Amino acid sequence: MTLEIDYHSPSYCDAYSRINAIVIEGEHKAHDNYLTLAEMLPELRADFVKLAKMEEKHKKGFTACGKNLNVQPDMSFAQLFFAELHGNFQKAAQGGEVVTCLVIQALLIECFAIAAYNIYIPVADPFARKITEGVVKDEYLHLNYGEEWLKQHFSTCKSQIETANRQNLPLIWKMLNQVEQDAKTLGMEKEALIEDFMIQYGESLEKIGFTTKEIMKMSTMGLVAV
Amino acid sequence: MFGLIGHLTSLEHARAVAKRLGFDAYAEQGLEFWCSAPPQIVDEITVKSLTGAEIKGVYVESCFLPEMLASNRIKTAIRKILNAMAHAQKHGINITALGGFSSIIFENFNLSQLLQVRNIQLDIRRFTTGNTHTAYIICRQIEEASRKYGIDLAKAVITVCGASGDIGSAVCRWLITHTDFRELLLVARNQEKLQQLQAQLGRGTVTDLHSALPQSDIVVWVASMAKGMEINADQLKRPCILIDGGYPKNMENQITADGIYVINGGIVEHSYDINWKIMDIVNMAAPARHLFACFAESMLLEFEGWHTNFSWGRNQITVDKMRQIGEVSVKHGFRPLIA
Repeated sequence: MTLEIDYHSPSYCDAYSRINAIVIEGEHKAHDNYLTLAEMLPELRADFVKLAKMEEKHKKGFTACGKNLNVQPDMSFAQLFFAELHGNFQKAAQGGEVVTCLVIQALLIECFAIAAYNIYIPVADPFARKITEGVVKDEYLHLNYGEEWLKQHFSTCKSQIETANRQNLPLIWKMLNQVEQDAKTLGMEKEALIEDFMIQYGESLEKIGFTTKEIMKMSTMGLVAV
Repeated sequence: MFGLIGHLTSLEHARAVAKRLGFDAYAEQGLEFWCSAPPQIVDEITVKSLTGAEIKGVYVESCFLPEMLASNRIKTAIRKILNAMAHAQKHGINITALGGFSSIIFENFNLSQLLQVRNIQLDIRRFTTGNTHTAYIICRQIEEASRKYGIDLAKAVITVCGASGDIGSAVCRWLITHTDFRELLLVARNQEKLQQLQAQLGRGTVTDLHSALPQSDIVVWVASMAKGMEINADQLKRPCILIDGGYPKNMENQITADGIYVINGGIVEHSYDINWKIMDIVNMAAPARHLFACFAESMLLEFEGWHTNFSWGRNQITVDKMRQIGEVSVKHGFRPLIA
């Protein structure tokens, strides 16, 4: 089961330049998204500002991971990578759609981050492993924050969650496909990433109030077309 | 609360079941999809004991399929079992049976070294292979079927195919302790383990299947195989009892000759109906009453409050533990199925 990974090989560093950039950009976007949510839900401003600060700290941690391996993150790749999903978040924010914004940031992105970080930890270099272990604990808190809000408003926002899922989950699968090969070079299998995401996302949807059948339908939305 | 971790017998079976349960999102998918599918709780179960006690449990579908092993997707198979166990533990289940290939994968791929599943440390005391009860039930099936079909056990040659395995070795130990038979033939793929077993037992003859079959009055099949075994009825004695302990069970359809009696090995019948969907799905003849003995073991442990991994590890099943689980099996209303 133990994989022998050469963290300094050219192929590893090349793949890491994109994956590391995605993670840095993802944390940066998360920081911005939580600040946007703080504006949209002023009564919860303090909470969202706190979450945003944690994401900023994660960004610094992952930037250090790249430096530790002497890898220059490919930030232009990462910005393009998030463009479509970020565009959907911005559009929803401009339209005052709190539910859509929470589904994108606090559910989909957090679930995907948790799945990816959990799959990454056993194959990470020792420095990155320590950083990522700390980050993933925080991400569970962020996910829980989104779950609780959506659970409390479930009766009024169920259909909005379903719509946001339908519009955005296929993008997550598309993004995963884009980095399948790079993730594999880092020792992360696409099949395992999908399974871990579906486990985490399914658990979150269950907590929010969806039934097993609804969860199965929602969590596989757009998967086959990819 | 007890749990049962199970899986379906093939991709075709899985698709049909998903359709039947109304899980359309899963029904049309290929093997690739099932390799990424998460575990699901798909059945909630209430079981009543002869004592009047009632317990509740759940069935966890691991989404493992035997095709994953057949196509050498070992990492996938391992993930399926660990994720299903984590799912059960996360749902606060006290004791969960690892049905079908689940326990075999756990043992063969040494999953006891991989108990950290994401943020969950698996607590193995919450799981049981159910093999002690399965072995006990198979032994009782040998005794009862031989009576029913007129085979005198004292003069019988019994072959255990898969003798070096967890269930096979337990069956051999019980037979030597409890049963008067003429000869015990030990068959398995791993000759080294088989020789060790024979040395421990102090009885029994190591042989191969080809030599064993024509001499056998009773054959117990407990070898773990991703695909079924093909047997030619012409090789067998008449009468001959075949106890099919495999999953899926396929001997009954395969061998239909006169004088050959196929028993669904390791299956119990309960005294009361159980309101569940899952035994219908795995094609039990009387789905409300018939179930795998390994599943029944987790029910027995829950009834008795023995929240511990009663059956665990390999070749650790003692005759005393078989007797212990056998007593509570009878007490709560389970009996060996003799088809």
